[in-house]
Amino acid sequence: MIRLAPDQSAQIRRTEKVEFTFDGTAIWGHAGESLAAALIRSGRLHLRDAPEDTDPRGAFCLMGLCQECLVVLEGQTVESCRIELQPGIDVTSLRYGADG
Amino acid sequence: MTARYDIAVIGGGIMGCATALRMAEGGMRATVLDQGDLGQGASGVNAGTLSLQIKRVKLMPYALKGHHEWKAMGDAVGFRKTGGYTLAFTERESELLHERQTLKAEAGAPIEFVSNNHIRNAEPNLTQKVISASYCPEDGYANSSLTGQYYRGRLRDQGIPYRERCPVTAIAQDGAGFALDTPQGEITASRILMATGAWLKPTAAMLDVDLPVNARINTVSVTERLKPLTSTVIGHATGLLTMKQKTNGTVLIGGGWQGRGTPQEGRGQVTAGSLQPNLALAQFALPALENARIIRSWTGFEANVPDFYPLVGALPGVEGAFVLGCVRGGYTIGPYISKLMGDFILDREPELPLFDPGRNFKED
Amino acid sequence: MLLLCGTAQMADLIDILVVGAGPAGGNAALAAARHGKHVVLLDEQVKPGGQIWRAKDSSILSAPQTPESSAGDALRAQITKAQIDHRGSTRIWQIERQTEGWDVHVLRDGQVERLTTKTLVLATGAHEFVQPIPGWTKPGVFGLAGATALFKQNLSPPGQRTIVSGTGPLVFFVASEICRLGGTVAAVVTPNTRRDWVAKLPALARRVDLALRGALWIVHLMMDRIPIFWGCSVVSVEGVARVESAEIQKLDANWAPKGETWSIDADSLCLGHGLIPSIEAPQLSGVTISYRSDLGGWVPDIGEDGATSVEGVFLCGDGTGIRGAAAAELHGTLAGLSAAEHLGARTAKERATLRSRFNRAARFGLAMTALSTPRPGLAMLTKPDTIVCRCESLTQTRIAQEVEVGAASTNAVKSGLRAGMGPCGGKYCQTAIARFIAMHENRPEAEIPPSAPRPPLRPVPVSALSADFDYDDLPIPKPAPL
Repeated sequence: MIRLAPDQSAQIRRTEKVEFTFDGTAIWGHAGESLAAALIRSGRLHLRDAPEDTDPRGAFCLMGLCQECLVVLEGQTVESCRIELQPGIDVTSLRYGADG
Repeated sequence: MTARYDIAVIGGGIMGCATALRMAEGGMRATVLDQGDLGQGASGVNAGTLSLQIKRVKLMPYALKGHHEWKAMGDAVGFRKTGGYTLAFTERESELLHERQTLKAEAGAPIEFVSNNHIRNAEPNLTQKVISASYCPEDGYANSSLTGQYYRGRLRDQGIPYRERCPVTAIAQDGAGFALDTPQGEITASRILMATGAWLKPTAAMLDVDLPVNARINTVSVTERLKPLTSTVIGHATGLLTMKQKTNGTVLIGGGWQGRGTPQEGRGQVTAGSLQPNLALAQFALPALENARIIRSWTGFEANVPDFYPLVGALPGVEGAFVLGCVRGGYTIGPYISKLMGDFILDREPELPLFDPGRNFKED
Repeated sequence: MLLLCGTAQMADLIDILVVGAGPAGGNAALAAARHGKHVVLLDEQVKPGGQIWRAKDSSILSAPQTPESSAGDALRAQITKAQIDHRGSTRIWQIERQTEGWDVHVLRDGQVERLTTKTLVLATGAHEFVQPIPGWTKPGVFGLAGATALFKQNLSPPGQRTIVSGTGPLVFFVASEICRLGGTVAAVVTPNTRRDWVAKLPALARRVDLALRGALWIVHLMMDRIPIFWGCSVVSVEGVARVESAEIQKLDANWAPKGETWSIDADSLCLGHGLIPSIEAPQLSGVTISYRSDLGGWVPDIGEDGATSVEGVFLCGDGTGIRGAAAAELHGTLAGLSAAEHLGARTAKERATLRSRFNRAARFGLAMTALSTPRPGLAMLTKPDTIVCRCESLTQTRIAQEVEVGAASTNAVKSGLRAGMGPCGGKYCQTAIARFIAMHENRPEAEIPPSAPRPPLRPVPVSALSADFDYDDLPIPKPAPL
């Protein structure tokens, strides 16, 4: 089939795969990409539960505004769409309850 | 033009709405006018602290009654009686705390001094640097954001008409009472009550009365939701900090740090130079705030007069015009002192003395 | 008492501080620097480019160029060559007028810093409007414009099989990019009809290059046999804890849903209904706002070449109205020149020659905005139990009840329900709520402004704000009266 905008994914060269963990599960991504991008690629979309109704939530605006992609990294609440993936980081989901 | 009201209340905060409710109970036809939405001035943007430990000695009887009013309003205003601690971190603060809280206890507030062990057990996440603390079991908070919603409902239930986005731009005396110019038309009333908080000076000026009211510009901040860190209202001996964690997990931080701006210019502005030490002090008291993010900071204009006592009574020199305004502690005292104001206008004997707006402010 | 505001920093007085390094801000900085001004260019992203020309992240070693990446590279190269002091990964959280100029408080690498400038050029761009639909909070639903960040920065598709639903040209760009990056588009769904597009042909003819590119996106999608549902919208999202399928329905001319629905399986959905100017920073600087539906909603009041009624504040780009990137570049240059003129440079001739080009580009952009702006019926996609405020999980019913009992402003709804008090600060609910109030009360949207923005403009860690605190520096106030 003629494609005017062909699939170029094979032409994209990325940094080596590195591992990190999300809630203890090992996930791979490429060093330097956003944490949210690595999580989305891995199919790990459900990042947190909404505090009011425990509705599952994940990355939405991807530009640092909506605060839906919050995760916890080194004790700090961070926007995963604005965090650069580093090898070996341990990321946990944000829990609002007493078991925090 | 609508029929003449018995009284028009200018200002739809706690004072204006609660007084209107009292007067309506007493049979008066009242209306409430607000330049914006109901309860969006100091009544709706303050930190919601209900603490006897930061009330003036002479106002303690009013504050105690005020606490009962808030308790009665309950969930509808987000009332929580949590108890509260006031902390001292230095010897000097400790002396100040003892001297002041002793006088407040003598005035009727159930304030006690607690041991360091006690506070560490009760509030384990507070800094270990506390050297002394006082406790008042009556202290707590309400959710000031709900003020507008609450009074809108109460006024509606009592059939008291109110107008929002209805600033009064001129007041004329017409023999039988007052005619008020508003963008929604002229409103006439036999009496008027000015309850415009930090805007009292320009309001009274429309009748050529000079009230010595200026504004404090208090800063309040709130964090995102956090896991439970504290369960009581936390204060500081100097008054530079109030802090409480709401049931949703957010921590509300105040302490009277001053922003800038004037009521006449509109909204006040937060300044970084005052916000930063306010939050630093909060983190000093509750170190776990280090990892919290601040979501929002804002200011509210609080009325202020030279002697720091309320204005509750007749507007000097103008028959049929009244003034109600509080200075420091207005949120706590407001629902009660409004009843006194209402009774006074209804020609009933108020339960406690009023505070003459025409007094000599230099006296105290 | 000004613990963190020592005088040492005062030495570095900036002439022109530009906030936002997209097409508008980047060009404003370049124009001002050409006139010898000391310019600092701040941006939230690591590199200049803005949302439209967002740069690839450092995980990408090499990749085919696109028109966006080329345009971004050109801007980035110019900024580097002009030796502009560009500070990336920097978020402004507060703006304060001082006796001379402005203090801009920023957060960078977990630390706050105060910058002092004589003039401000705010080029804060836009964010997205998404009409809430049932299930739009499920993981796997992304903003339509937001998804482009994933394409441009990470060169990743949003999932394996994606439905793209939304207004204006963006749906076709997004669908085309997903194919380019190896994803599969299950369907393209747009409320616009082919007739809507034909009606814009005169405007499209002004920018044949851009029009042709758009046409190629569509041709490509058709050749790939990707279904394009014109005059339709995704009306609900199904799935347990993530997107599994979406319901699609035909819309009437007013964009209200009508008739039968059908379901399409997908693991992701890109959903968006036009852009909204990001006006918080201009508002914090004291610039007033007006409602302009043709410009995307509430916009700051600006005069010629980005000037405002607030001395020393200049605005440009989509933050002043959605006119698109081509117009934003020229608007940025104009605003940069205006700011330089304010500081003594002579730029009137240069601006006069640019203005007609800006107006031409703006006409094209506004035609695209008109295609993207929701028609009133789209509000009917939001059902009673649909979450409107994502942060607080507030449904349309809760908001309706509050409006019913007299909350007649966004501010009253915010106070009563916390809609807009959550961490996003109302960016994803205020427009829908204002439109709901307007519809419910039969008032024009122009009477229902957004709530006033509050600092910090982005969440700021307490640890950053309290750095350098020394307890002994606390001012001891006169004790409150006993």
